Amino acid sequence: MTESSLNHAETAQIDYVKFRHDITEFMLANCPDDLRKKVCSNQKIGREDYAEWQKILHKKGWSAPNWPISEGGTGWDLRQRYLFEEVSAELDCPPLYHHGLGHIGPVIMHFGTPAQKERFLPRILDGSEWWCQGYSEPGAGSDLASLRTSAVLEGDEYVINGQKIWTSHAHEADMMYTLVRTSTEGRKQAGITLLLVPVNTPGIEIKPIRTIDQWHHVNEVFLTDVRVPAFNRISEEGGGWACAKFLLDRERLSPAMVPRLLRQLQQVEALIKSKVQTNGATPSLQSAISRLLHAKASAMGAKEMLLSAITEEMSGTLRSSKSSALKLHCTELSQQISSLAYDLVAPHYSQRLIPHAPAADGSDDLDMERQLLHTYLFYRSRTIAGGTSEVQKNVIARDIFGV
Amino acid sequence: MSFSSTPLFAGDLFDTALRVAQEDVLKASQTQEGVPSDNWRQMLNLGWQGVIVSEDDGGVGASVQDLSAIVEAVARQGNGAPLVDRCAVAPVLLSAAKENAQAAKLLHKLMTGEVSVGTALDAGEKGPGLVTAPWVGADLSMQGHLLGIDLSEPATHVLFRARNVMSQESMLVLLDWNDISNRVNQFTGTDGRQYADINLSGLSISSDNVLLKGADAAQAVSQARQMGALLSCVQTVGAAAAMIELTIEYLNTRQQFGVALSSFQALRHRTVEMYVAYENARGLVLNQIEHIDAHGLSEDPYKMTLIKLYVAGLARLVSESSIQLHGGMGMSWETLVARLAMQATSGSLQYGGPSECLDWLTAQTLTEST
Repeated sequence: MTESSLNHAETAQIDYVKFRHDITEFMLANCPDDLRKKVCSNQKIGREDYAEWQKILHKKGWSAPNWPISEGGTGWDLRQRYLFEEVSAELDCPPLYHHGLGHIGPVIMHFGTPAQKERFLPRILDGSEWWCQGYSEPGAGSDLASLRTSAVLEGDEYVINGQKIWTSHAHEADMMYTLVRTSTEGRKQAGITLLLVPVNTPGIEIKPIRTIDQWHHVNEVFLTDVRVPAFNRISEEGGGWACAKFLLDRERLSPAMVPRLLRQLQQVEALIKSKVQTNGATPSLQSAISRLLHAKASAMGAKEMLLSAITEEMSGTLRSSKSSALKLHCTELSQQISSLAYDLVAPHYSQRLIPHAPAADGSDDLDMERQLLHTYLFYRSRTIAGGTSEVQKNVIARDIFGV
Repeated sequence: MSFSSTPLFAGDLFDTALRVAQEDVLKASQTQEGVPSDNWRQMLNLGWQGVIVSEDDGGVGASVQDLSAIVEAVARQGNGAPLVDRCAVAPVLLSAAKENAQAAKLLHKLMTGEVSVGTALDAGEKGPGLVTAPWVGADLSMQGHLLGIDLSEPATHVLFRARNVMSQESMLVLLDWNDISNRVNQFTGTDGRQYADINLSGLSISSDNVLLKGADAAQAVSQARQMGALLSCVQTVGAAAAMIELTIEYLNTRQQFGVALSSFQALRHRTVEMYVAYENARGLVLNQIEHIDAHGLSEDPYKMTLIKLYVAGLARLVSESSIQLHGGMGMSWETLVARLAMQATSGSLQYGGPSECLDWLTAQTLTEST
């Protein structure tokens, strides 16, 4: 890995303006055009796309903006990470793949043994091992602690039986970090353990779930007598809930959240303007402009909320209500924006979501208006995944009421 | 006892349609290259294409209420049969053109299911939506496209509005499917249905293909679109009723945190909002059906457009809420509520989507105020 001089930011006074400039130059020069076109047109991107960009960033030493230098990350502070995400979104570079770099990587860093760090972290960093998250189960969604997939220690192996659902990217992953029940005694949360499971282990069956957006993201994962080494247990037996909470707290304060929203708004604004040029300022387009302006102001507020949350996180004063408020606000705003886009494109594309004979030159896939329809449908999951809006409201209410 | 919605027109016809529609809802639709699905064949055999065709023209001569009973029942099951197109819009167009021998012949065959006529109607001369009808030249050669034909089940013919390039007047044109099948571009829509655009440019027709011209054609198109709008509202009301029932059942059954989800006030209130909107829209649509049965279709699409705009809001509200309240299950195509949501939102775009209705109604309001 080539370490960039920017990675030593913590040792000197940070010039954020220069930092932003350098990142912009790098991304413009190094992110492949076809990838940027794909992201710009809102196509679904998969492992191959994420990995291509991660490899480029890794070579520069920037594949893990949220990791410390000691583990091969950039060591950037949260404000630098925000700028990285902002530039990345503005230039239509692919987002960083969250399950490895954003989720399980930091968990392993915090709870893992030196041997586990050595085994798992480098392959997350260079993208050679791809991860998915085995959390939800048919009977355990919002109430995750009710999960029933069991793991029994036999010698130096755990034997896992059960079923996971809504497992995104399982079909293209090498590893699944999964919560399992190792005890039914005491509090439900106390019997949960975090295991790292190679997806090609005998006994694992992955079945795709067809979703309303007609993209393939999520799967059912069936585990029958799946054996994994005890080495793959993170933290102690029964320590899985603490790992999950640690992960969730970081997920809710993702610096990537707002910049992608702002980019989405830019695209919708351009779309409205092009339609006004073609059709004139029709009443429905005027109504769209009104919604756009409200969304813009709301997104500006989200940015400020995120920046203040980042500042509070850096000083150790961030309350859980604020990170949940961010998640709630940003996911609902992303739905408002995609809903606005839907109203603009659906009259034509609702009957033309998937062409039976796509254009040979790929223009159907690059058609942003068609992809915005997929996005609207996919974004219905935004207020469900990672804790529903209703759950977020409960978390916030508990915190601000103090009971 | 939890909520059980009241059908717009309960009775034997509704019950039969509910039963027929349930038999085949998850089966993949046959495309034009194939044959009608068994389920659609059953509907054809029951004479549903001829329900609103008068007895003199070989149909059942039943009311719009009867057709609504069928359409609502089928919509509740998430069944994607092309009922609005084939059983409502095509019969209205053919009935208007029945002085034409070919139209009269097709009308008689609708009842037996020997033919199935797909339609493509743009906004026409009066009503919401885009004006996209293809042109017919002096030499009867065509230019332009037909957009968004419902091909969930095979069509034997396609009936559409065209425009005379010289006089601009409307024409109702009928083509045999075999004459255009190589001009078709097919898609899967957000509702899982199969749709087709057809490029007619360069195609020559004969005067035999023109069933109706001028003001008569324009009025037939306007009335057929109103009928399409009304029956798509019926579909939405049916789908919304089913979504609310399914959501209540899910919230009553699904346990999280040791209790049924329905014990959470936030979820109950969101369901109540769906229910209130549903009852409101249901009343509106019921009244319009009864009005049309009593007085016929209006020459002015204002009231129908207003209802269509309102019901589109219901479709969006109930669909988005149902998905959210079902959690991950609401995102899965295998879940009935998800398919209902997709059908309701897609249906609200046909025969005048909400933006088109808003634009047209605003223009009418501004005209009246000057």
